[in-house]
Amino acid sequence: MIPLASVPDYMLPFVGPGTYLIFGIVLLPVYLMLAGWLLGSPRERTPTLLGVGYLVGITTALWGGLFVVTMVIKFAFF
Amino acid sequence: MSTDVTEASEETLLRPITSLSRGYLVALGLGCAAIAFWLAFYVQQLYHGLIVTNLGDWGTGGGVPWGLYIGAFIWWVGIAHGGIILSAAVRLIGLDTYQPVARIAELLTIAALSCAGLFILIHVGRPDRLVTAVIPAWPTRVQWSPLMWDVTVITAYFVLTGTYLMMTVRYDIHRLRERLPDTFDRIYDLLLVGYSEAEDEVVERMVWWLAFAIIIMAPLLLHGGVIPWLFAVLPSMAGWHGGVQGPSFLSIALTSAVSGIIVIAAAFRWAYDWKRLIPDEIFRGLAKWLGFFGLMFLWLQLQQVLTGIFAAPTTLQHATEVKVSTPLYWVAIGLVALALVYIFASALEPSLFSIPRIVVTALAVLVGTLIEKTLFVVEGIQHAHFQLYDGVPGPYTPSLVELSSVVGTIGIVVLFFLVVSKVIPVVELHAIESDHEEVER
Repeated sequence: MIPLASVPDYMLPFVGPGTYLIFGIVLLPVYLMLAGWLLGSPRERTPTLLGVGYLVGITTALWGGLFVVTMVIKFAFF
Repeated sequence: MSTDVTEASEETLLRPITSLSRGYLVALGLGCAAIAFWLAFYVQQLYHGLIVTNLGDWGTGGGVPWGLYIGAFIWWVGIAHGGIILSAAVRLIGLDTYQPVARIAELLTIAALSCAGLFILIHVGRPDRLVTAVIPAWPTRVQWSPLMWDVTVITAYFVLTGTYLMMTVRYDIHRLRERLPDTFDRIYDLLLVGYSEAEDEVVERMVWWLAFAIIIMAPLLLHGGVIPWLFAVLPSMAGWHGGVQGPSFLSIALTSAVSGIIVIAAAFRWAYDWKRLIPDEIFRGLAKWLGFFGLMFLWLQLQQVLTGIFAAPTTLQHATEVKVSTPLYWVAIGLVALALVYIFASALEPSLFSIPRIVVTALAVLVGTLIEKTLFVVEGIQHAHFQLYDGVPGPYTPSLVELSSVVGTIGIVVLFFLVVSKVIPVVELHAIESDHEEVER
């Protein structure tokens, strides 16, 4: 089996093909974008923080909202 | 080359916000009715479980466990992709011709992606399963599970798209604030938090980088990557397996996305008399892109059919034979092929081109791509390598419960556009500004 699909036992369960795929390849454009925001020119602190705030805020709103719905379902029906 | 729409005024751009017509109310009613139609069935599903659909647990209930819900999920994700890709291309490579429809495309991405997410929520049965199954498992399963990859990348994509819209809309709202309704002041205050005109140049550069990330991630790593990998990495399903699924999924995504933009842009143009703001040449250009992507779609289908029936491994040959002997598959291919014929003919003879005709063509493509993707999901599962359940599965026909969900999600997209167009301009102010210049990153 090729190394991407198999790892030594001591690395499990935190390393697998998805580790390289998601964090090494798929999210690479996002890292580059963040580097462009932080290191490019012209740059300014407020819009950069705003951008990062949107990234964090929308992620939190999305999964936080789903979590709240899940809790409502749990306590209302079970 | 860019489209000259600078004759259009701010008044034209703000028509959706400042006017209220009977047509708007009718559309609002129809959107709500479509959602209500679906909810009536969805309540039954919540109450009785997935048994009310024709989806069965493999090996116990007969049929297939994945059907129209998953087909529609792929379809909506595909529609979502082209939208933001078009918008990102406007910003990234100066495809200014399409600037008047760029924000419509961005909004379509958010609406369509939400519908795709909704299909996963519906498909898992109990809605709370999305959180209870994904969150605790994510840290240890993202290493191995394509489903976790999917959830991760779709979240990233949704967040990037949302950020893109939030950052670009500030410029417009600040400049149009005096003409926007006071009713939504709180929303505008929130959207403009910390705004100063000095940030415009910086934000343009940040949005360029956002467009850069999106234009690489969306086509190559999401709809040409993680979504097809849900299927293509599984060797036990002959009809799903193989690297061709990446480009094939992408061609379908781009084809259906351009169709979606054509339909919605035409609806706005018709409703608000936007002949100058969204001129014919934008639709002619979109039609050519639709033709190109449609051709890719058919070419990749040809690749799959030929390699599947010419000396293929036994199970792949069987799966492909089933595919080509399914009449509905040829309906899907025929709809896309007919669309290509019309686009080609109207390129040769421009008088054949009209907005209503290209809208009908786009709708035909949307139907064709939904059929193809649903058949792909169902037939892939029905004709697996192993024969454990050969005696059990029965035929699959989408139930009214499932069909209603497609109607409901279309209603959600209609409602989304009707509501959003009352709050923010659906055409960027840049589109009518003659002095707008591209900002160097």
